[in-house]
Amino acid sequence: MNISLNDLKKSMEREGYISEDDLAVTVYLALTLQKPLLVEGAPGVGKTEIAKVLGRVFAAEVIRLQCYEGLDENKALYEWNYQKQLLKIQIMKDACARDDIEKDLFDEEYLLERPLLKAIRTEKTVVLLIDEVDKVDEPFEAFLFELLSDFQVSIPELGTLSARKIPIVVLTSNGDRDLSDGLKRRCVYLYIDYPDIDKEVRILQTKVPEAGERLRLEVAAAVNFIRANLDLRKQPSIAESIDWARALMALDADFLGVDSISRTVNTLLKNRDDRMQLMSGNVLHDLMHRLNSVGWPEKEHDCAGCGHGHEGHK
Amino acid sequence: MTVPAVGTAMKVINNKTRGVFNLELDRMTGIVAEVEGTGIDSLEYNITRFVQVLRHLGVRVSLAETMDAMAALARVDLLSRGQFRGALRACLAKSSREAGLFNQAFDLFFTTAEEKLKRQKLRKEMQEERERLISGAQQELNGVMEDWQGELPEKIALTDMQLETYSLLPEEEKERMKEILERMKANPVNNPGELINRVLQSSLNYWRYYMMKNLKEKEGSRIPAEAELTGDEELDEVIQSVAAEFYHTPGDRIKHQDMESLDDGDLPRITALINHISSQLALGMSRRYKRSSRPVAVDIRRTVRRNIKYGGIPLELKFRSRRKKRPGFLLICDVSASMARYARFVLQFMYGLSSAVKEIESFIFSENLERITPFFRLNDNFSGSMTEIVNSSRQWGKSTNLYQSLKTFKKLYGDTASRETIVFIVSDTKTVAPGEAARLLGDLRRKCGELIWLNTLPAIEWEKQPQIGVFRKIADMYPCNTLSQLEKAVRRHVLGRYA
Ligand SMILES: Nc1ncnc2c1ncn2[C@@H]1O[C@H](COP(=O)(O)OP(=O)(O)OP(=O)(O)O)[C@@H](O)[C@H]1O
Ligand SMILES: [Mg+2]
Repeated sequence: MNISLNDLKKSMEREGYISEDDLAVTVYLALTLQKPLLVEGAPGVGKTEIAKVLGRVFAAEVIRLQCYEGLDENKALYEWNYQKQLLKIQIMKDACARDDIEKDLFDEEYLLERPLLKAIRTEKTVVLLIDEVDKVDEPFEAFLFELLSDFQVSIPELGTLSARKIPIVVLTSNGDRDLSDGLKRRCVYLYIDYPDIDKEVRILQTKVPEAGERLRLEVAAAVNFIRANLDLRKQPSIAESIDWARALMALDADFLGVDSISRTVNTLLKNRDDRMQLMSGNVLHDLMHRLNSVGWPEKEHDCAGCGHGHEGHK
Repeated sequence: MTVPAVGTAMKVINNKTRGVFNLELDRMTGIVAEVEGTGIDSLEYNITRFVQVLRHLGVRVSLAETMDAMAALARVDLLSRGQFRGALRACLAKSSREAGLFNQAFDLFFTTAEEKLKRQKLRKEMQEERERLISGAQQELNGVMEDWQGELPEKIALTDMQLETYSLLPEEEKERMKEILERMKANPVNNPGELINRVLQSSLNYWRYYMMKNLKEKEGSRIPAEAELTGDEELDEVIQSVAAEFYHTPGDRIKHQDMESLDDGDLPRITALINHISSQLALGMSRRYKRSSRPVAVDIRRTVRRNIKYGGIPLELKFRSRRKKRPGFLLICDVSASMARYARFVLQFMYGLSSAVKEIESFIFSENLERITPFFRLNDNFSGSMTEIVNSSRQWGKSTNLYQSLKTFKKLYGDTASRETIVFIVSDTKTVAPGEAARLLGDLRRKCGELIWLNTLPAIEWEKQPQIGVFRKIADMYPCNTLSQLEKAVRRHVLGRYA
């Protein structure tokens, strides 16, 4: 892949993906070393999005293999189009010798390409997204590992098919299950953590540009506070803070207050207990204090009835 | 693998918590320049050593990955510390935990010349202090023996470690030991040197164990339960510092801390963590084995091929091959006094597995063996089951007799073990009659599919326990004093290892 680290970072940003240096270097290395990129991290931190954005950056088709329990080679790699084969047999049954029919039947013509085969058989470079690879069974993971080692597959009736162009491979995992050492060894590894306030502000800026500067900052700071200080069933993801900012916009809120929070909190926290935890007096009070200190000038937060004036800013 | 001396370990911990060295860019430039300036393979040399540090911290790095790292370095700007670190991490650390270890090790390892010098000095001081203590102790003991009557023992042949332990004893304990020596002087026996050595050594070994244990309790989370030292001082220092500081998130700390020293205050977290681990494993187990009972799918490709001769009418169906048969599991957990704390967590773990996987038979033992499977089925929560087990069992907190326990097992439950059974024994191996126990253990081994012994004694103590050598010949033995080790061992044998 002919691109400099700097250009990659800029292009990703142009396509709406905010990255810090560590992330950009890792993606860059996967591209230049032509190795699969394995991305792990909590739900909604932008793992899948990396593949999509790479597709846009390189104007390449994104071929997605969504993994699930029980996924097998028939669904992932290829299947024989047996209806077509049966028809063919019917047509040919009197005309040819059995051996000839058999040879004809297992020709590329009857092959149904599934995502993996498609990814290595396409003439142009594609992005192969193997999403949530931790969901597959171990034997299938071992099969994937082989495929990713030499980018060729063998189909008993056709022999070995190798990649026309090595695809850009992105694997994502929520860490449900430890992946095998073999697979991990093949890959360049990226762990995405929840973003810091600054990164999240920038993400909000690209995803919810209609939100004002103050709202973006306060949403990012509030989400950061919530992730760091509450013991939640499910931490709010980036996708959820984007949704939250949008919901706040729909209310025409341009900053966070107890009222606007309580009317929109279900877009941020999906679990009822989590919402109750946030909306309890003390937590909300602390949150308001935190927002007061993030440095937005001349603000007047209503403060969960804490009954004293705030200084506004530092 | 060397054991850090008590005093040294304490000091290392105190000094090392000072932490992470932040560098500005120009200093980094200096380092890289230094690394590069000393010769063409110097960067490689440093990477190799760094990889060694990672390995000893429990990060698995293969040779291929080390080579990937070198290739990666060739493609980034080495003068940028961020790029340098990012390139190495992308190739060397392959999980969030490994990435965390990597970050800390990186900061300590790739540091400025001044920092390195400072640490070197510190190391030297510690070494000198240790030598001073040792020679002081030697002199003190020699002093007592000076006016020895009759056949003089050559010298008091204590190891440096024992001498160091002596020097760290409370004053009155030192006095007591000297007193014993004095009394022996007055009452000469046949082979006094030998006797004195044995008396001294065993009591010093005891003290060392006691001190280490106290230190462990006090410093609990700080003691690297799984990190291993290399013997190379410079590397070990990094390893110790990282290990001491790494387990900072509660989940990580709990998982990698000796179960015995887990704090009761953490109990809700521990419980949640154990539940999480066991339900993950249970999920894996049911995924792996469940399909055997389902109808098997038609293999279309083989069916089509088979039926060409019938003009494509599928008269003969071909099926996909069946999955593996699900094995049974036997858990035999030691609940004697020395095991009490471990047993609590191990049983909770097994409770979690049992609730999702039916083929588990659980037993506890100390003086004798009792089956507890029914208790796990009776209750829908662990503390309920646990209370009933403790109330109705006579084994809790007694001394250990594995021989008697295995005898009971053989007599009453011998049939539960077959070639498909994986047997786990969780015990610290401290039993009476180890020889007889080993014999019955051998019988069990021959009956079952796999016999795995999860030993809660840290691996570094194994050599000191002769019975362990005997048991190891019969069972596959793994260290199991942290939850992470427990998880790993069970995962390996229940879900299998591949690739
Ligand atoms: N760095 C980023 N820059 C811009 N948008 C981001 C970034 N990270 C995440 N997002 C946004 O967050 C949303 C969720 O990201 P994505 O679907 O990639 O998460 P994920 O990690 O794959 O989650 P899951 O584990 O649930 O599949 C995306 O729609 C994307 O718009
Ligand atoms: Mg995703």
